[in-house]
Amino acid sequence: MDMLLQFVANGLVSGSFYALSALGLTLIFGLMRVVNFAHGEFYMLGGVLGWFVTTYLGLNFFVGLVVVVVAMAAFGWLVDRFLIERVRDQGEEPSILLTIGLSIFLTNSALLVVGTAPLNIAGAVPNAPVFLGPVVLTQMRLFAVAACAVLILAAYLLIRHTRLGRAMRATFQDPMAARLAGIKTAYVYASTFALGTVLAASSGMLLGSIYSVQVSGGGLISLKAFVVVILGGMGSFAGAIVGGLILGLAEALWGGYVSSGTVDVIGFLIVILTLIFKPYGLFSTQVERA
Amino acid sequence: MSASTPLLQVSGLHVAYGKIAALHGIDMEVAAGEIVALIGANGAGKSTTLRTISGLLKPSRGSITWDGREIAGMDAERIVAAGIAHCPEERHIWPAMTVRENLMLGGYLCTSRAQVEQRMEQAFQRFPRLRERDRQMAGTLSGGEQQMLAIARALMSEPRLLILDEPSLGLSPKMADEVFDVVREINARGVTVLVVEQNVHNALDIASRAYVVETGVISTHADAASLLENPEVLSAYLG
Ligand SMILES: Nc1ncnc2c1ncn2[C@@H]1O[C@H](COP(=O)(O)OP(=O)(O)O)[C@@H](O)[C@H]1O
Ligand SMILES: [Mg+2]
Repeated sequence: MDMLLQFVANGLVSGSFYALSALGLTLIFGLMRVVNFAHGEFYMLGGVLGWFVTTYLGLNFFVGLVVVVVAMAAFGWLVDRFLIERVRDQGEEPSILLTIGLSIFLTNSALLVVGTAPLNIAGAVPNAPVFLGPVVLTQMRLFAVAACAVLILAAYLLIRHTRLGRAMRATFQDPMAARLAGIKTAYVYASTFALGTVLAASSGMLLGSIYSVQVSGGGLISLKAFVVVILGGMGSFAGAIVGGLILGLAEALWGGYVSSGTVDVIGFLIVILTLIFKPYGLFSTQVERA
Repeated sequence: MSASTPLLQVSGLHVAYGKIAALHGIDMEVAAGEIVALIGANGAGKSTTLRTISGLLKPSRGSITWDGREIAGMDAERIVAAGIAHCPEERHIWPAMTVRENLMLGGYLCTSRAQVEQRMEQAFQRFPRLRERDRQMAGTLSGGEQQMLAIARALMSEPRLLILDEPSLGLSPKMADEVFDVVREINARGVTVLVVEQNVHNALDIASRAYVVETGVISTHADAASLLENPEVLSAYLG
């Protein structure tokens, strides 16, 4: 029983990272219809940049996180304005090819600059254990979960209750009507892409401070984000969160009771089962998008 | 025919969709305070003309002057800011947003929250049914209510010229009458109106002048009253 609680706690911790990371992917898909295969590389870049500003430059973790958020927002904005813009409204294939190319470019550029060794990010809080009844977590993990929750809530409030968020939803639902209302849709697309990039990068930095940053790990991250998005429903905000937590829990339980070496297989199982039984995901995008 | 300097003047407007030309030199003008109708058969180029005026389409040739300023080819968002609001064919409300959000977005260029609230209050006074449904998803409204919402949304930018593309499309005759009453009232408050309408009688009823569009050019231009008296002329043009 105690083991079960521990596995559940571990699962919820990694599930919240999956949720934050998948949120960026699902927003970019739901709002822009772009399937971003470079998502894992944005996550990886967040980690590398986080390592650079904290461990390498010696900045405080929170200052570093702000730097990463600002830098990656600018990066996402530029990627949209200079790359995605060129394939906008041409269907899904050109943007898939473009983002696959971008992912290859980013991974190899990062390998060239920082090499293959895992990078450690100096954490925000000590890595001391915290006992919650029979469950033991670390302060750092609790902090990272809280940070994920704050970022998810911030993204939600931005999309639901701000002028920019309304403009995002309006542009997605009907770009022509958005233009007629005076919305500069090109800026809305770029802002949406920047938001998705920031969500990926900040989860990369948070997770990097618990484990370490692997420059070549982007592919696996993208894969898991896709699992979550397929499970939750492409473009669904709630789906990304619920899907992330389910994947985290399933992996932790599989790792605890079945075999810890094969957890990555769970994601594929979930995708297969979702596609058979609920092909549009738990939260169908027909009803709720972003 | 109209006042000395027209508010809107379109001359020699050519527009193409890709390689296929849709307009071959449209000439028309609208004076401040008028209601002008644009009529013509399906596919004649009425919507294309409106879309080009509001900046959704870029003309290949020709000029559009608004209040003495050239606006042809300008981006749609700058044209709204200049005072032209376009209520498009088939309404194009945002179905998965509430009535309130649709209106807020109509006031996207407002400079303050208070200004948005004040204009929304005016919209609710004009359309009490929208106030009752302000938290409802716009997609769940009836056709007539959606048209009211589309007009209310366009008015949130406080335009000097309101462009309406087939406002009675798909509405019951009673509902259509209600829409035209509202258009008259909006005009009486000083907003100039350019309207495209399939129902020619309704159009000529509210308009002072009308242009007949035929395969991308203006074929006739006359007072609404004289067109109404010559139904045979009209049917020849409208097919
Ligand atoms: N999006 C489009 N792409 C290509 N051709 C179009 C498009 N919209 C309209 N057209 C063509 O342009 C011409 C004028 O259309 P339109 O302005 O919509 O006519 P109306 O509003 O008078 O019915 C028609 O021949 C129509 O087929
Ligand atoms: Mg039309």
